[in-house]
Amino acid sequence: MSASQAVFAGWMEIPNSAVTDEARTRAEEETLAALVSQYSGTLYRVAFSVLRNPADAEDAVQEAFLRVLRHRDTLDQVRDRRVWLIRIVWNIVLDRKRRAKTRPETDDVAELARVLPSDGLTAEQIASAAQHHAHVLACIDQLPAKERQVLMLSAFEELSSVEIASVLGITESSVRSRLFRARNLVAGLLNHSRSTHPRSLR
Amino acid sequence: MNDPTQNPIAHGAAEETLRLIARLSAPQGLEDRVYAGLHSRPRRGRILSWPAAPRLDSSWMRSAAAAAIVFVVAGGGWGIYSRVQQPQAKVIALPTHVAAPGGFSSAGAMRTPNTLNGPVLAHTVTAQKKQVKPAAKTPAPAAQKPHRSVAPSAAGKAATQAATQATAPAAK
Repeated sequence: MSASQAVFAGWMEIPNSAVTDEARTRAEEETLAALVSQYSGTLYRVAFSVLRNPADAEDAVQEAFLRVLRHRDTLDQVRDRRVWLIRIVWNIVLDRKRRAKTRPETDDVAELARVLPSDGLTAEQIASAAQHHAHVLACIDQLPAKERQVLMLSAFEELSSVEIASVLGITESSVRSRLFRARNLVAGLLNHSRSTHPRSLR
Repeated sequence: MNDPTQNPIAHGAAEETLRLIARLSAPQGLEDRVYAGLHSRPRRGRILSWPAAPRLDSSWMRSAAAAAIVFVVAGGGWGIYSRVQQPQAKVIALPTHVAAPGGFSSAGAMRTPNTLNGPVLAHTVTAQKKQVKPAAKTPAPAAQKPHRSVAPSAAGKAATQAATQATAPAAK
């Protein structure tokens, strides 16, 4: 085959048959369904930890899977899909949080009282616990962004420091140092609020 | 700086709250809703396949097809280019308004020449009528005039002839 024939053969190549397309589409659908069933809960919790609103968190999960759908052709090249998905949803929620106004602490109290487990607790205890957690979250919100992000991701038991580093795009040693700084800062903030508002951290 | 190990209550409170949120269970039916949302997305376009695909087995047919594609693309491009070029040539360049040197500016006012008054038809028609009427109605006096004028001129001519005849021999 001459050079021109080879070029034209490449140009005029007839695409794959409809049968192959259907099989590939079906395989992609199955992969996507498996990802949704396996990781939607984890992604929801990551999203909720930042947005603190169930509807917003669900929207973020939806958007994350839509982005996965856009890049489904390169899905085979992803090494750790769980970390990859968490990274996608993390970027989405950070972007949404940046655009949204700062939530007042009263909103967090109401939302946490509704969401947090309340087995064997009275209504007063639930309200008190919600108020306490909302105050802690308000202190965490005062941390610098880098430290806050590491602290929030470290709360997820399924994420190791290596995986947190992969999600944030930093080194593992940076994760450790930022986590140490974050813990120091949040402890200082909570101690300060305890001394000024003794009832808030009871 | 405070050491978190020295503030176990405060440190524990932050970790406890974050872990509590991190352990929250996802709402029921989340997977179904997400999956349904993915299926309701706008579908991307599909490539239509010809019912009877042309069999380009021989190399010359492929070459001809490629040449035809190149010809169509080049011809279309040339057609668009030539159509776009035409209006540019028809653009009329207006002369720029030059201000009078040293004088006052015209403040953008354009000079318009005074147009001549055209002929007024009603006036000319009546004038012609006035000129024509007396000529038609008084032919007799006009005819008599030459008679009056002829007589003195003939007498004058005779007098001059007589004078020239009288002076001619004297000169000789």
